[in-house]
Amino acid sequence: MRRMNARRWLDLTPLLVVIGASAVGAAVATAPAGRLDPAQAWCAPSRARPLGCGEAGVDLAALVSVAELRAVALAVVVALVGFAAGTSLGAVAALVRGRFERAVERVCDLVQAFPSFILAMAVLSAVRVPSRVALGAVFALTAWAPFARLALAQTRVLRDAAFVEAAVALGRGPAGVLVRHVLPNLLGVVAVQLGSTGAAIVVSEAALAFVGLGPPGGVSLGGVLDQGVAAMLRAPHVLVVGSVAVFATSAAMLVAGKAAEG
Amino acid sequence: MGRVLASRAIESLLIVLVLASLVFFALRLLPGDPATLVLGDEASEAELARVRAVLHLDEPLATQYARFLRGLSTLDLGDSFRRPGTSAMARVGEAIVPTAELAMIAVAIGALAGIAAAVAASGPWLAPRARVWVERGLVGVAAAPLVAFAPVATWALAARARLVPLPGDPDAGAAGLLFASALLAVPLGAHVGRIARAALAEVARAQFLVTARAKGMAPLRVWVVHALPAVVGPIVTVVATQLGALLGGAVVLERMFERRGLGTLILEAYATRDLPVLEGAVVAAGLLFALAQAVGSATHAAIDPRARGVR
Repeated sequence: MRRMNARRWLDLTPLLVVIGASAVGAAVATAPAGRLDPAQAWCAPSRARPLGCGEAGVDLAALVSVAELRAVALAVVVALVGFAAGTSLGAVAALVRGRFERAVERVCDLVQAFPSFILAMAVLSAVRVPSRVALGAVFALTAWAPFARLALAQTRVLRDAAFVEAAVALGRGPAGVLVRHVLPNLLGVVAVQLGSTGAAIVVSEAALAFVGLGPPGGVSLGGVLDQGVAAMLRAPHVLVVGSVAVFATSAAMLVAGKAAEG
Repeated sequence: MGRVLASRAIESLLIVLVLASLVFFALRLLPGDPATLVLGDEASEAELARVRAVLHLDEPLATQYARFLRGLSTLDLGDSFRRPGTSAMARVGEAIVPTAELAMIAVAIGALAGIAAAVAASGPWLAPRARVWVERGLVGVAAAPLVAFAPVATWALAARARLVPLPGDPDAGAAGLLFASALLAVPLGAHVGRIARAALAEVARAQFLVTARAKGMAPLRVWVVHALPAVVGPIVTVVATQLGALLGGAVVLERMFERRGLGTLILEAYATRDLPVLEGAVVAAGLLFALAQAVGSATHAAIDPRARGVR
């Protein structure tokens, strides 16, 4: 048991390091994220500005720290919403069986293979400036599907288990079977998906901001990458900082998801 | 096989319908007046009324939706709002060619590279430790986000080593297209490699391969001629499931390399709130995706008899 807990903490360590480093970076920043200082435009990393400056002298350490914290918060919230919605839908579909089960299965397959990035771009065009709430809502449109697919497959196994049949024979209703017997045995398996969904949301948010559909204020990892590509020849450090930040955050989310494995 | 393809075609059309309807309702039902989104806050009431009339926003929602579905069935979603006289679908038609080109070359490169890595890691050519490293490499590359590594790879190869054209170079030509496609192919190739490696490991001890080896066939022939056709199903499936991500990646790369295409058209239509073009571009992206899925299913069914007549 103690070894299992140690392994889980080890899996969570990269995410905790990213969050801790970002929190420290945001706290010690000399200027708020996104403050412009044109005299320092594209300045190289130095003691005063450890990650250097971006366009119009924005302090990259402050910008990346706040952007990482916001990206992780968005990813965690959307992944949890997808987890709750998808797990419930998948479990109910497998218990109901028949056409509903087949329909949910097919819709999951389609949504998982959907060009979701293009869908997000199109839906976001309906709002004036894509706020983080709007981004979260768009990501949630497709985030539930992998959870529902996993819950469906796992409930198919559980619904024929002896303890579920015993509960039904003892007169427990479908809702009781679902809440007391199926869901508790399902959560551990489905929760494995939390990490990869969270990582996908971090990357999607960065990609949307990179193409110009980011949150207001430009405080986003994709915004840093966009600046980096524009100044690739003049200030390559901006590009490297943006890429490393996206990679580190998404990889940390991915590894943290392993903590949910049984 | 006919039934499988027909059911796939119906599913594909359903995807396009759902995607298009979602965009239609999002543009009309989310808070905010679409006419104000198009013209901005400074527009006069008369100008707003004109835009509502042109885009039929002054009609009841059901009438607008019926008109939209009619237009969808004939692929005529009206004129581009920003370029009066030019059909929205004509603009989309021009933009879809470079995107399809980019995606098709990426699929070809990704599939070939992934299969080559899987065969190399399965056959007798590499030491066991090297095989493990190939497998680990595939897992690592598959997890690397395109938006994170593509800019750094471009900086290293274009800005530092000068091996490929810089983003935005008007004379990039075929070299620029190939480089962008190769970047787009990297995650796909890693996914194909992982799945193909796992599938090849499954068939490695099959009787027909033992027989082929016993008859003295060269290892390359054993793996390429006999083993590969048996695992084409999972390979086609993984390519089909990655197509959505590939289209998203194509948008990112079009933006990065300043290439014309469906992605840049969507961004332009978004910036200028050209609603007919935006709807048309999303429908076209859905059609492209659905067509590629159908081609994938047909290829799978043509190569693997087990896929025919199976749901």
